[in-house]
Amino acid sequence: MRGRPALAALTVVGALAVAGCGDSDPASSTAELTVDAAYIPQPVSAAMAAGFLTITNNGDAKDELTSVTSEAGDVTVHETVDGTMKEVDRLPVPAHGQLVFKSGGNHLMFEKLKQRPEQGQTVSVALHFAHSDPVTVDMPVKAATYRPTTEHSGH
Amino acid sequence: MRKKTFAAAALLAAASLTLSACGSGADSDKPVTIVSEDTSRQAATVLDKPFEKPDLVLTDAQGKEYDLREQTAGKPTLIYFGYTHCPDVCPLTMNNIAVAKKQLPQADQDKLRVVFVTTDPERDTPAALSTWLKGIDPQIVGLTGDFDTVQAGARTLGISIEPSTKDKNGKIVSNHGTQVVAFSPKTDAGYVLYNEETTVDDYTKDLPKLVKGENP
Repeated sequence: MRGRPALAALTVVGALAVAGCGDSDPASSTAELTVDAAYIPQPVSAAMAAGFLTITNNGDAKDELTSVTSEAGDVTVHETVDGTMKEVDRLPVPAHGQLVFKSGGNHLMFEKLKQRPEQGQTVSVALHFAHSDPVTVDMPVKAATYRPTTEHSGH
Repeated sequence: MRKKTFAAAALLAAASLTLSACGSGADSDKPVTIVSEDTSRQAATVLDKPFEKPDLVLTDAQGKEYDLREQTAGKPTLIYFGYTHCPDVCPLTMNNIAVAKKQLPQADQDKLRVVFVTTDPERDTPAALSTWLKGIDPQIVGLTGDFDTVQAGARTLGISIEPSTKDKNGKIVSNHGTQVVAFSPKTDAGYVLYNEETTVDDYTKDLPKLVKGENP
């Protein structure tokens, strides 16, 4: 009976050490990027498609999305302001923040696709950053009218 | 048995400590996409002072002259200003309407006029409109013509569009309206507005009323 709590206490200590999360470690000031909520609404044709995703940075340093590439076709990064879309060279991913691509706002624009992406398929893209390693994302093709919601989106 | 439980609880405590330590100081680090916060929100804006239908005579996707007032008189009509080289909002808006429209009885589908007026007439020829609309709903009327005419027509509905320009890389930049205007079959006046947040479900709910000229 006596030995067990000691073991458990050790476990707690170990976990605490890990849980420091580098707050006190100056060498760990990097961006920590994850990507989710990626999708492509099924486009009208192979000439033009949009893509959306969210890049989350849990790190202490900011980063920048500098380009997006895909074997499926040309990809450019756009922001939309008052109904006008504008191609941008780079977009910031703030430390402990997000870069959000969503309908009506920032979007990836696919052009000259080799074939029209159809619902149920995926399109693989590589996100390139100023500092972090590239991140490859398989973007699922959803219905043309798909909208992400927090729950029960019907798809 | 008891000991095991205790150890497990300690481990669990350790695990949650780890998690909470990492999350500290950043409540906003949760990647939650909140798109529709309020499910009871009303998509439609019913206007106190309806718009007159714009006096537009343009060219349709078959290359024929199309007089908007004449062709849509007495018909429920939805008008949107956009362009086909638009990856995001224009096809989404048209697809939302097309999907909702298919849920109407066939007779109502045939009555409803959905009109897509291009804001980029240089690239959106009748053939380009025809190809694009076939991918969405061939019943949608696509209109093209002189940009100034289109712009003036849009302006009467409070919709501001600018001519396409070229960016620093020589790429053409066009713009679209942000609203869909619904015209009543009873008065031919534009009495309801929808913005680009409007979903398929919103249109599905409202179209049965709009085809009768009722308020959604």
